[in-house]
Amino acid sequence: MKNANMNDANIKNESTYFERYNDMTHVLGRIFTTIVLVMLVGAPFLIGKILGAMPDLKATAKGFLSVGIIWTVSSIVEFLVYTPMLGAGGSYLAFITGNLINMKIPCAVNARDTVGAKSGTPENEIISTLSIATSSLVTVLVLALGVLLLQPLQPVLQSQVLQPAFANVVAALFGAMAYKYFRGNMDIAAIPLTFLCLLFIFVPSLTSSTSFMIIPGGGLAILISWLKFKKRNA
Amino acid sequence: MSSFSILQALNSAPLYLICGGIIAFVAVICVIFLIRAYRAGIAMGMDKGKMKTVITSSATFSILPSVGILLGVIALSGSLGIPWPWLRLSVIGALHYETQVAQAAAEQVGLSSLSAAEMTPQAFTTIALLMSICIMWGMVLSVFLNKGYLKKISGSKKGEAKETATFKPNDLDNKKGGFADKAMTAMFIGLVGAYVASYIGGFVSGGAQNGGGIFRFRGDWVPLVVVAASALSMAFFIWLSEKKKLAWVDNFSIAGSMIVGMAAAVVVSL
Repeated sequence: MKNANMNDANIKNESTYFERYNDMTHVLGRIFTTIVLVMLVGAPFLIGKILGAMPDLKATAKGFLSVGIIWTVSSIVEFLVYTPMLGAGGSYLAFITGNLINMKIPCAVNARDTVGAKSGTPENEIISTLSIATSSLVTVLVLALGVLLLQPLQPVLQSQVLQPAFANVVAALFGAMAYKYFRGNMDIAAIPLTFLCLLFIFVPSLTSSTSFMIIPGGGLAILISWLKFKKRNA
Repeated sequence: MSSFSILQALNSAPLYLICGGIIAFVAVICVIFLIRAYRAGIAMGMDKGKMKTVITSSATFSILPSVGILLGVIALSGSLGIPWPWLRLSVIGALHYETQVAQAAAEQVGLSSLSAAEMTPQAFTTIALLMSICIMWGMVLSVFLNKGYLKKISGSKKGEAKETATFKPNDLDNKKGGFADKAMTAMFIGLVGAYVASYIGGFVSGGAQNGGGIFRFRGDWVPLVVVAASALSMAFFIWLSEKKKLAWVDNFSIAGSMIVGMAAAVVVSL
C-alpha cells in the first residue's frame, strides 16, 4: 500500500515536472521564434541599408500574391500535420530551422523508431527535441564548413564559363521537380500543362510573368484532382 | 553594377556578418533546447543511453542531407552570392522553395532570369524580403497556435491519427485521407507546369530580338535542355532509390539533379 502510494506520488511529480518543462518550452519557443522572425524579415532591410537600396515593397507584394499564397497554404498544412508529430520543442525548432520534409521529419521519425517512443508522450517530446536540435546543429556545422571551403572557389564560381549554369538554376529545379510530380500524376498534369503551353505559345509576353500563371495552372490541376477524388469516393 | 561587382557586394564581409550572426543565434537556440531536453529526460527517469543513441543517430542521419543542402547553396551562390543562400538554407528554408520564390521575385523586379548578370542591389533586397515573407508562416503559426493546438490534439487523442498524414508527391492514388494533401500536390503540379510550359512557349514563340515570333522556334532552347537533363537525372536517382534500394541517394536527388541540369547548360553554351 505504502509502495503504491509512493509510485503514485512519483508519477504525479514526473507529470508536474513535465508540465512545467513544457510550459517553459512554449515560453522559450515563442520568444525565440519571434526574435528569429524579426531577424529574418529585418535582414533584407539591413542589407538594403548597406547596399544603398531598400527592397521594392510593391514588387514584394505582387510577388507574394503570385507565389507566396501557395507557400502560405503549404506552411499551414505543414503546421497542422507536423506539430502533433514533433511535439512542442521539436516543432518550434523545426519551423525555425526549416528543411522539414527532406530532413527534420524523417530524422525525428527515425529517432522515435530507434527508441520506440509513442507519439504524444513526454518521452516523444524529449526524443523529438533532441533529434531536431541535433539535426539542425549538424546542418549549421556542415554548411558553415562548406561555405568556408567555398571561399577559395569564388573566382571559379564567378567565371564566365559557369554563368549559363547559374542563369538556368530555376530550369534545373523545375526539371527535377517536373519528373517527381508528373510521374504517376500525368492524368492530372496533362491538361494544365497543355493549356499553359498553348497560352505561352500564343501569348509569348506572358513568360515575363510566369509566376502569375501558377494561379490558373494550379487551379485547373486542383479542379481535375477534385473531380477525380469525387469520382473515387462516389 | 556589373555581375562581378554585384557578386562582390553580395559576398562582402557585412553580409557574412549579418547572415552568420543569425545562423549563430539559431545554433544557440538549438543548443539551449538540446540541453533542456536532455536534462528533462534525466529528471523524468529516461535512459541516458537511449538519449545518447538519439543524438548520435540524428547526427549521422543528418550529414548526407546537409551535404545535399550545401550543393543548394552552391547552386544559388552564382546569382545571390554565398551569405544569403547560406542563411536561407541553414535556417528555415529548403532549396526548392527558395529557388522558386527567388525566381518569382526576380520577375516582379523586372529581371528576365535569376542571374548575377541582371542582378541589382534593389532586386537582391526585394528577392531577399520576399523569400523571408513567403515561408515565415510556419513560425507565425507556431508563435500563436502551437500551445493551444497541441493541447487540443492531446485532449482529443487524435495525435496518432495525424501522425500518418505525411505529404508525399505521389500519393494521389491513395484512397485514404482527405482532399487537402491531394490539393497541395495538384497545386505543385500547376506550379511546376507553369514554369515548364513557359520554357516550351519561350522556345516556340520567344526570341523577338532574334526575329522570333509565334511558332518561329527562335527562342532560347537552353532551359529546355536543362529541364530535360535534370528530369532525366531525377529519374535516375529515383530508379536507384526504388529499384536498387539505395534510399540514401534521396538526399541528393533534388540538388544532384539541379547540378546535372546546370552542367548541361554549361556544356551546350560552350
